[in-house]
Amino acid sequence: MERQVRVLLLDDEPIVGKRLVPALAKLGVETESFTDPEAALRQIAQKDFDIVVTDFRMDKMDGLEVLKRVLQKNPRTKVIIITGYATLEIARQALAIGAFDFIAKPFKPNDLRNIVVKAARALGYKVKDKPEDSSSANGDPDRELSGS
Amino acid sequence: MPVVTLSSDSHPLGREIAVRAATALGYDCVDREILSAVADRHDVPETDLHKALEESPSPFGISSKNHARYLAYIEEATLAVLLKDHVVCSGLAAHLYVRGISHVLKIRILADPQKLAGEISSGRTPSFEKVSALLKRRERFRRRWSLAAYRVDETDPSVYDMVISLTRIDPDEAVQTIVETTGYRKFQPMTYSLKCLKDKALASRVRVALIDRFPDVRVQADGSSVVVQTKALEREKQKKTEVIKKLAGEFPEVAAVEVQILPDIFRKAAESFR
Repeated sequence: MERQVRVLLLDDEPIVGKRLVPALAKLGVETESFTDPEAALRQIAQKDFDIVVTDFRMDKMDGLEVLKRVLQKNPRTKVIIITGYATLEIARQALAIGAFDFIAKPFKPNDLRNIVVKAARALGYKVKDKPEDSSSANGDPDRELSGS
Repeated sequence: MPVVTLSSDSHPLGREIAVRAATALGYDCVDREILSAVADRHDVPETDLHKALEESPSPFGISSKNHARYLAYIEEATLAVLLKDHVVCSGLAAHLYVRGISHVLKIRILADPQKLAGEISSGRTPSFEKVSALLKRRERFRRRWSLAAYRVDETDPSVYDMVISLTRIDPDEAVQTIVETTGYRKFQPMTYSLKCLKDKALASRVRVALIDRFPDVRVQADGSSVVVQTKALEREKQKKTEVIKKLAGEFPEVAAVEVQILPDIFRKAAESFR
């Protein structure tokens, strides 16, 4: 039986993980959320993740550094960068280093879900398009997610 | 796949390279042929659309109002084509309005000066001094045109991802370089860059819907929200805001319209002298 897709979510703003973990859980993926990049990298060193979703601008480490370290550990991992400070230069740099996709905040949880589905399929997983249940205990699932 | 915009100091040469690059990539090539459909759609003379791309507004040529209107029509049509992807675009000034989008590869082709001078002076081969003066004058003109139309200096190399001089590089090598560069990861489309292009396309459509009534209108889109900026006198504010909200709100993709009215200081001053 195919194992669940493993997603690691890293954003130093706790609200992001709080909103996105339930949104991604609806896809049937296993998601672990971190606010500290070093703690996230320690977990990545111990466990293989299929997809890493990381913020770009964080106090301790930027998303491009996380991207490099994740790909060093496992080049197969799909890394998705999320940021409130998107520019053409950062987007191109992220892609050149090997990011799978790049999305600017604010975005709707469904926007990220679509990218996660695309990444999981690129890895050969069978993932359903629509979440099992569109209602959310944390409010409107399609409300935009902002932040840095 | 990336979109390629190709501009050149020689339109025929830019077009030739664009066609060859598009063929090599298996892309569509979009050039000034689309102007005939644009002219039909907006019921304006096609020759005026060509003029708007070549000439600055003047009392004896195209008025400033029409110049802005024609360029807005061209921009809207071009962005609609670019959204389809797999396109090489030349001759439509896209390098000046499709900026900040990471999957749009912007190329500038510089013609051999001697050949360009021959092209400008209808086949005659002028002296070196004349060539130099002619090209400098033309460059000054294009700089003024692009700054007036888009506030961007098209002769500035930093506008482009790559500038290729055909004095030193053969056309075949130029095409090959363009094809290879489109393969770089950094120029591949991503969710962010596709959204930016979609936002620009929506903003251009809304602007076209408003520009006849509000010639100075500026529009920005972010998803389903648009911000419209125009100038007005204090007494016109409310009415203009209502009309803009109504016209922009007619687009099914638009959920929210913010109207920013800036004081029209010139008209205010003109009225105060009456």
